[in-house]
Amino acid sequence: MVPNITLTTGSRVDRVRLARQERRRARSSHRRLHYSEWVAGYTFLLPTVVLFALFVGGPILFAIGLSFTNWGGFGAATFTGSANYARMLHDPVAQRAFVVTILYAVAMTVLQTVIPLVVAVLVDFVWNGLSVVVRTILFIPAIVSFVVSGVLWNLIYDPNMGTLNQMLKAIGLGQLAQPWLSNPATVLPSILVVSLWGALGLNMLIFFAGIQGVDPTLYEAAQVDGASRVQQFFYITIPGLRVITAIVVALNLMNGFKVFDIIYVMTGGGPSHASDVFGTYLYTLAFGSTSGSIPQLGYASAFSVVVMVLCGFAVLFQVGLARRANR
Amino acid sequence: MSSSDKPQRMLAASALGAELSRRTVFKLVGAGAAAAALASCTPAGTSTGGSSGGKTVVRMWSWYVGQKDEFPKVIKAFEAKHPSIKIDNRIFGTPDQYLPALQAAISGGDVPEIFAPHTRALTYGKQGVSADLIKELGSSFLKDFFPATNQEYTLGGKQYAVGYMAQTFGLFYNPDLLAAAGVNGEPETWDDLIAAAAKINATGKATLAFSANPTVSAGDFFLPLITQVSDDPTYFLKLDQLESGFSWDSDVVVKALQLNDKIVKAKVFQPRTTGTSGVQAEQLFYTGGAAMFFSGSWTPQSLVQDAPPEFGKKYKVMKTPAISSGARHWTADQAGAGWSVAAGSKAKDAALEFLKFMYSAEQYSPMMNGSNSMPSTASAAAMIESPIIKLMTSWLPDGCPHIPFGAGSAAGLEPLGKIFDQTESPEKVAKEMQAAVLNARG
Amino acid sequence: MSAALTTSERMPATTAPLKSGRKRRFPLGKSLVSLILIAICALTIFPLVWLILTSLRKQNTIFNGPFIPKHISFQAYPEAWSAINFGRHFANSAGITSATVLGVLVLSTLAGYAFAKLHFPFKNLIYVMLLATLMMPATALIIPLYLELKKLGLLNSQIGLVLLYVSGSAPFSMFLMRAFFETLPDELVQAARLDGAGEFTIFRRVILPLARPGIAVVVIFQFLSTWNEFLYANTVLQNTGSLPLQPVLFTLIGQYQTNWPLLTAGLTMSIVPVILVYVWMQRQFVAGLTLGAVKN
Repeated sequence: MVPNITLTTGSRVDRVRLARQERRRARSSHRRLHYSEWVAGYTFLLPTVVLFALFVGGPILFAIGLSFTNWGGFGAATFTGSANYARMLHDPVAQRAFVVTILYAVAMTVLQTVIPLVVAVLVDFVWNGLSVVVRTILFIPAIVSFVVSGVLWNLIYDPNMGTLNQMLKAIGLGQLAQPWLSNPATVLPSILVVSLWGALGLNMLIFFAGIQGVDPTLYEAAQVDGASRVQQFFYITIPGLRVITAIVVALNLMNGFKVFDIIYVMTGGGPSHASDVFGTYLYTLAFGSTSGSIPQLGYASAFSVVVMVLCGFAVLFQVGLARRANR
Repeated sequence: MSSSDKPQRMLAASALGAELSRRTVFKLVGAGAAAAALASCTPAGTSTGGSSGGKTVVRMWSWYVGQKDEFPKVIKAFEAKHPSIKIDNRIFGTPDQYLPALQAAISGGDVPEIFAPHTRALTYGKQGVSADLIKELGSSFLKDFFPATNQEYTLGGKQYAVGYMAQTFGLFYNPDLLAAAGVNGEPETWDDLIAAAAKINATGKATLAFSANPTVSAGDFFLPLITQVSDDPTYFLKLDQLESGFSWDSDVVVKALQLNDKIVKAKVFQPRTTGTSGVQAEQLFYTGGAAMFFSGSWTPQSLVQDAPPEFGKKYKVMKTPAISSGARHWTADQAGAGWSVAAGSKAKDAALEFLKFMYSAEQYSPMMNGSNSMPSTASAAAMIESPIIKLMTSWLPDGCPHIPFGAGSAAGLEPLGKIFDQTESPEKVAKEMQAAVLNARG
Repeated sequence: MSAALTTSERMPATTAPLKSGRKRRFPLGKSLVSLILIAICALTIFPLVWLILTSLRKQNTIFNGPFIPKHISFQAYPEAWSAINFGRHFANSAGITSATVLGVLVLSTLAGYAFAKLHFPFKNLIYVMLLATLMMPATALIIPLYLELKKLGLLNSQIGLVLLYVSGSAPFSMFLMRAFFETLPDELVQAARLDGAGEFTIFRRVILPLARPGIAVVVIFQFLSTWNEFLYANTVLQNTGSLPLQPVLFTLIGQYQTNWPLLTAGLTMSIVPVILVYVWMQRQFVAGLTLGAVKN
C-alpha cells in the first residue's frame, strides 16, 4: 500500500510562512491562468499518450472495427454490420460463456478479496508483523508463470494419480475423489482454487499493509472508550480499508472478465464448454486448434468488445465507490 | 502470472514498502540504457522471407519437436549443396504456442515459406494462402505418398499440403496383464474386446486406457467407427465437408455412436475418460494400471522417454478391432503432421527445392527412423527400423480418416463426450453434433 | 508538539512497529493463526519445491517414483543451458526487460505526477482514456498489434516488442504512481513554484526523490511481468535468435511429450533473476527511516 508520508519541515516558523504564502496564492490563483502548468502537464503526458495512441488506442479501434466484419484472417474483410453481435445472441456456446464469465469474475472477486482480508486481519491481530522470509515465500506464486502453475495443478487434480485424490483416499474420503477438471460441476471451483492460490499471498500483503496503515491513535481512543477488539475491528479497521478494498475489488473484477490464461491452460474451456469464458472462446475462434477450422476474427473481436464494456462497468463502479469514500 | 494479475502484484509490492537509494536509481538507468542499446541490435540475417545478405531465406515453421535433432542435419546437408539458400527452422512447443504466431504472420500477409498447416490446411488453401502442390511438386512426386495422406489435404482437385509424419492408431498392450486375466491372443472384433474386458476388469485392472480429453481427440476413436459402419473410407471426408446428403444425425453416424456407446457401457475404457489427458492415459498404461492403451504411432517415441526401460521391451501393439469377424480392420490413419508452402512468397522455389530434398529417401528415412516416427511415403516406409512402427505402417491400406478438417467439424465432436460420460443417448448426441457443427460455421 | 506525525512514526507494514495501544495476548489464537500461515506458506512454496525436485531426477521417475527422488543428478542443468542456448536468450530477456522497466518508469512517473499535481484541461478525460488500456483482453489485440507493428516497420525487432510492452504497461503504473503522488502534500510543489522553479525541475528535484517506494514497486513488478511474458514475444519476434527466455523454455513443452527435467531445470534457472531483483529491493528497505525529509 502506498505509505502515508507526512513530511515536516522541522520548524514552526517555516510552517507559518508556508501557510501565509498558501493563502496569498489561493487568493490570486483565480485571476491567473497557469499556462506553464498546462504546458508541463501536456508535455509530461506526451510520450504516454503517443505510445497509447499507436499501440493501444489504434489497435483497440481496429479490434472494434473488426467486430463489424467477418474477416477470415487473410485478404479483404467484408463489412457485415452487427451480424456478429446478433449471432452472439443466438449462439448457445456464447450464451453459456457469458454466464460463466460473469460467474467466474464475481466468484473470483469475492474469494480473492474476502479470504486474503480475513487472513490478513488474523495475522495482524495476533502477530505484529511478517518476517522477510514469510513475505518472500508468499511472493512465490507470483513468480511462477501461469503455464507452469497450470501444469502443476493439472498434475494435482489428475483423477487417477493426482495428489489431491490420493490424499482424499488416504484419509478415508475416497468417495469424494473425482475428475475435478472434467466434471462440469467441479471444474469452475477447481480453477478458482488455483486462482486464489496465486493471488492469496499478494492480496493478503496488500490488506495487511492497509491494516497497519490505519492510525493507531484511533485504536487507542477506542480502547479508552472501552470498545472490545471485535468492535474495534468493525468500526475502525474495516472503514479504514474501504479505499484499498474498492481498488482491489475493481481490479479483480476486471481481471475476472478478461481471464484467459489460467482457464485455457488447465481445461481449454472444457469439458464441453463448461469452463469456457469469453476470453477462451474468443481465442479458440481466432486461433483455435480444437474448435472450428476457419479463423473467425470478426466474431472473436465482437467478444472482446463485450469484455471491454464489462470492464468499463467495473471501472465506473470503482470510481463511484472512491467518490463515496472521499465524501 | 499473466499480465492481468499485475495490478495486484504491484499493490502488494508497495505494501512491502521497498526503497531505492538515488545511486541505485542511477545505476539502474545506466544499466537500462546499455541494455536498451544492446537490445536494439537485431541479429544479422533477418528472417523475413526473401533475400538477406545475398542469400534466399526459407522460413520453416512447425511444432514438430520430435525431429528437433534431425532437422539440423538435413538442413546442413541441403545448405552445403545449395549455398545460396538459407533455411530458418523454427520449432514451437505445442500447436497452441504456434497457431497465434502463424495466424498473425498470415494476417500480416507475410506467410512463412514452409509451414505446418494443422487442421486449417484446407481453409488456408481456399483462402489462397498455401500453394497447390499438385502443380508445384508434380504428381509423380506425390505418387510416393500414401493415398490417405494426399486425400486428406486435397480439396477441389488441388492439394494444399503433403503429409510428413503419418499415423495409424492401434491398441498397445501389456502381454503380462492380458495373460494374467486369461485372455489369449488378440481380440479380433469389438465383441471379442468386450469379452476380454470382462476378464481383465475382474483382475482389478482397467482394460483400455484412453483419453477423451479434450473431447475432440475422442474423434480418433469414434470417427473410424463411422468408416467401419459404412465400410467406406470416403464417407467421413464427405461428411466433414457437409456435402449434400451428409449430416451428423444420419443413420450411419447414429449407428457408429451406438457402437461407441456399447463399448463404453461394457466398461472397456477406464473410468472417467473425459477427465484423463493423453499424458495421463499413457501413464496409466506404463505404470500397469491398464492392460491396453488406445493411441497413435507417436507413442513408441514418448514411451522411450517416459516409461521404464523394462516396460519398453515388453509392450506390443495390435490392430483396431473390426466391426465383425472377417470385416476390415479400419484404422485411423491420417497424417496429423504435414507441410504447406506459401503461395505468394518470393522464396517459393527455394522452398520447394528444400522440400524435395527433405523427402528424398536418404534424408527422409533417417529422419523418421531417428525419431521413431511413421513416414508418409512408401519408399521410406520400406526402410523403417522399429518393428512396432513397421507393424503399424503395414495397416495403412486399411486406413480411414479421423481428423476433422472441415469448417465446424471439430465443434461437432464436442457432444461426443456425453457418450463417454454416459449422460446422453446416441440419437440425441447425433442431433447435438449436427447443431454444433452448424453453429460453429456461423 | 507537531500535530503531523513524522515518517518514522507512521511506517508501512513491513517494519512491524511497536503499537503500544494494541498489545494482545492470545496464545491460542496465535498458534491457530500460525498454523494457518504455515499451511499457506507450504501451499505457496510447494510448486517451487516440485520444480526443483523434478529437475534433479531422471525423466521416467517423475510420475511413478517417490516424491523425493532416490538418485539426484544435476545433469539437467548443463543440458538445459546448451540445448536451448540458454545464455543467449537469457541475455535477450535481460535486455528487453531492463529496457521495458526503464521505459515504464520514465513514462509512469511523469504521467502520474502530471495527473496528481498539475492542472490542465481535459485531464480527467485523458486519464479515463488511458485506463482503457486495462480493459481489453490481450488475446484480442494480438493481430491488430501485429499489423500495427508491421505498418511501422517494427516487426521482428526487439525495439518493437519493448514499445509494445511499455505502452501496454505504463498506464497501470501511472495509475499507481498517481495514487502515490497524491499522498504528497501540495505545499511542496507550491513552495517550489514560489521559489521560481520550473515544472520539470520541481518534478526532478523535489518530487522524484520522494517517490522511491513507488519506483521500487514499479521496478519489481514490471520486471516480473516482462520477464515472464510469452504470447507477444512469441508472435512478434520471428527470428529465433532474438527471442527472450520464456518462449524458448516453453518449446520444451511438446504436444505429446515433454522433457520434464530439462524444462524444470530451465525454469528454475529463469526464476533466479526475479528472486534476486526482489531480494535486492527488499534490502534497500531500511527500517524507521525518515524518507528523504525535505531539507529546507
